[in-house]
Amino acid sequence: MESMIHDMAERLFRDHVHHRLRADAAAGQCPETLWTRIEEAGLHMALVPEEAGGFGVPAAEALGLVRVAGAHGLPLPLAETLIANAVLAGAGLALPRGRLTIAEDAALRLERRGGALHASGHLAMVPFARWADRIVTIAALDGVNHVLSLPVKDLTVTPAQDLAGMPRDDVAVDLALTDADAAPAYRSMGGMRGLGALVRSLATAGALETILRMSVEYANDRVQFGRPIGKFQSIQQYLATMAGETAAARAAAEMAAGSYDTAAFALTVAAAKSRSGEAAQTVGALAHQIHGAIGYTEEHALHHFTKRIWSWQDEFGTELDWNRELGRAALSSPHDTFWHFITDSTAQGVLT
Amino acid sequence: MTLTAFPPPPSGADHNDLRQEVRAFLAEELADFSPEKRAKSWNGFSRDFSRKLAQRGWVGMTFPEEYGGHARSALERYVVSEELLAAGAPVIAHWIADRQSGPLILAKGTEEQKRAIVPRIAAGELCFCIGMSEPDCGSDLAATRTVATEVEGGFRVNGTKVWTTYAHVADYMILFCRTGKSDDRHGGMSQLLVDLKATKNIQISPIIDMAGEHHFNQVIFDDTFLPSDALLGEKGEGWSQVMSELAFERSGPERFLSSFALIEELIRLLRQDATEAQQAEIGRLSAHLMVLRQMSRSVAGMLNVGKNPALQAAIVKDLGALFEQDIPRLARSLISRPAVPGGRDSYAAVLAYTELAVPSFSLRGGTREILRGIIARGLGLR
Ligand SMILES: Cc1cc2nc3c(=O)[nH]c(=O)nc-3n(C[C@H](O)[C@H](O)[C@H](O)COP(=O)(O)OP(=O)(O)OC[C@H]3O[C@@H](n4cnc5c(N)ncnc54)[C@H](O)[C@@H]3O)c2cc1C
Repeated sequence: MESMIHDMAERLFRDHVHHRLRADAAAGQCPETLWTRIEEAGLHMALVPEEAGGFGVPAAEALGLVRVAGAHGLPLPLAETLIANAVLAGAGLALPRGRLTIAEDAALRLERRGGALHASGHLAMVPFARWADRIVTIAALDGVNHVLSLPVKDLTVTPAQDLAGMPRDDVAVDLALTDADAAPAYRSMGGMRGLGALVRSLATAGALETILRMSVEYANDRVQFGRPIGKFQSIQQYLATMAGETAAARAAAEMAAGSYDTAAFALTVAAAKSRSGEAAQTVGALAHQIHGAIGYTEEHALHHFTKRIWSWQDEFGTELDWNRELGRAALSSPHDTFWHFITDSTAQGVLT
Repeated sequence: MTLTAFPPPPSGADHNDLRQEVRAFLAEELADFSPEKRAKSWNGFSRDFSRKLAQRGWVGMTFPEEYGGHARSALERYVVSEELLAAGAPVIAHWIADRQSGPLILAKGTEEQKRAIVPRIAAGELCFCIGMSEPDCGSDLAATRTVATEVEGGFRVNGTKVWTTYAHVADYMILFCRTGKSDDRHGGMSQLLVDLKATKNIQISPIIDMAGEHHFNQVIFDDTFLPSDALLGEKGEGWSQVMSELAFERSGPERFLSSFALIEELIRLLRQDATEAQQAEIGRLSAHLMVLRQMSRSVAGMLNVGKNPALQAAIVKDLGALFEQDIPRLARSLISRPAVPGGRDSYAAVLAYTELAVPSFSLRGGTREILRGIIARGLGLR
């Protein structure tokens, strides 16, 4: 698919996201200038309707930006901001400026105290919380899901990070909310967990493509026994396996992105997170095998990508979590046969 | 990385009305078809079934109407194919002709060949077999020894083909052989259309597989005369013609649904009561299946617009074979119930059948190692 916004993002990241920037980010430094460029390009608004500042492209194409960002190991909450803005826009809430992030639903207690809404509780492993202006999450009030937009300056953030050194902070919430910061959710499809799983699957697909490319290049360059190691059949078979897994991860993530906002999303996103996570495990291991010792160093770029894909496996539901969910759906479906369940699982809007 | 990009199948690819029609047809036709018979998957042979299917317009679907086809899209054909496979319908009598021989004849054949043969394929009347492998040429197809020497009025053929699936019942073989000398390893090869019912001096003898079944054969050509109009496509272009068939041969749903009868049996048993660990394994299986289906439909979409996604097809076949080959192991890890060939318990019988079928899945249609070599070449490694 030719996409102008993907090309634009590709150029921006190719020029500005490099090894040093990723290493500095892992050491705790937020790449502010790069974020300004992303905002100037409007990429963070791609998933909201055109009237609200989006590009008016299909959701699947807007979400494709996350794959492009993943391919560059972008150390910023672009995926999170895309989703947060779309969720806020969907709930009719104002779109704040700045970096946004998302947190898994149902972690907070939402109640009325006097006339005002009050949110309290703990959010664990919130991506980039300390670099974000707001956290968007979902909590239930009298059985109705509400979208919350929480200003980070009024929360207590305790820094923590994932394997790749990216902020995954613990956040304590104890806050009175104004009407501008909460509204009933407009949909129940998978909530923030499903949306988070979607963007992690897409980012994984992108990172896997980069890992595969790096591995092919390395195999063509590195000479042992008088020839490039890529001439050895066992290395070729590894790379072919990596290509298959990478293709599967991308097809899985794009399948889920293609059913964004449809009834099919709940199951396709489960399949996407599970399949891309499994691919991450296989591809990461083989990439390190192919790279030898140099790939095990801090100096080499490979670890920025492998650590990311391994961290993403654990976020917004592990493979085990999503497999259970999908398996439960398959085993308890009202369909006559498993086959009918499978064909309906991707059919948009047919799901019971 | 275009190799790892599988564009989503076009929207509307579900063709739900068609799907429901096929399901209703199969429910009636296969009402008494046992799970063990369904386990044969696309190896089940029934001319009667193929003819009935053709009467519904579901054979030769993508062929042009002037050749008896129905001018439907590759994605509509896909829906019919996957429904047939999921139900374990006996389809091999028309499968190869419908999948690759028909399209090949349409692409490369003469007007006479097209008129004489394609309408009969679309009528479900013709069974084709593929004459590529030989005793000394398996993966290395370019080592083919069977020779067709030009003689007056045609060719004289000598050589031996093996593993030829359903040659003993087929009407035609598309024979891959040498028709000339060439410095290029891939040169001097041609494809010949062999009328197996009308040609003398062809000896077809059974080879029994390890499950005790007879589906493949040895086919000996002993000074066999073929008329000159047996030549299919260009003389000397056999290699590139075979290669262009491969995207059709390798990307379809039969590359991951061959064990589907066992999956249905397994899920039937687990439905009543499953532990979390069992649920998770079924979830993983579902995820793999959903994604393979997405990839395979993507290739159908590419074929539909005239692309040649041979590399993507190799990826689908490699991943698909891993998936379908793993099902007996998975079943054993989830349910403790021994395999019993021909047993009365349908799970046990289907497990037994499938266990003995799976070793062939990563051999037929190109071995796993060869497919990965093709993918590696696509990555720029060779
Ligand atoms: C059920 C079934 C049905 C079949 N039906 C047909 C049919 O209808 N028509 C037809 O023509 N053929 C048919 N075949 C044959 C099939 O195409 C061949 O089995 C296949 O091409 C492999 O050839 P081979 O068996 O001679 O194995 P070989 O080529 O001898 O291979 C043996 C092993 O060596 C490996 N190997 C070979 N070369 C290399 C290499 N360069 N690098 C790494 N590893 C290598 C292979 O991957 C394999 O693991 C069928 C096979 C089966 C099992």
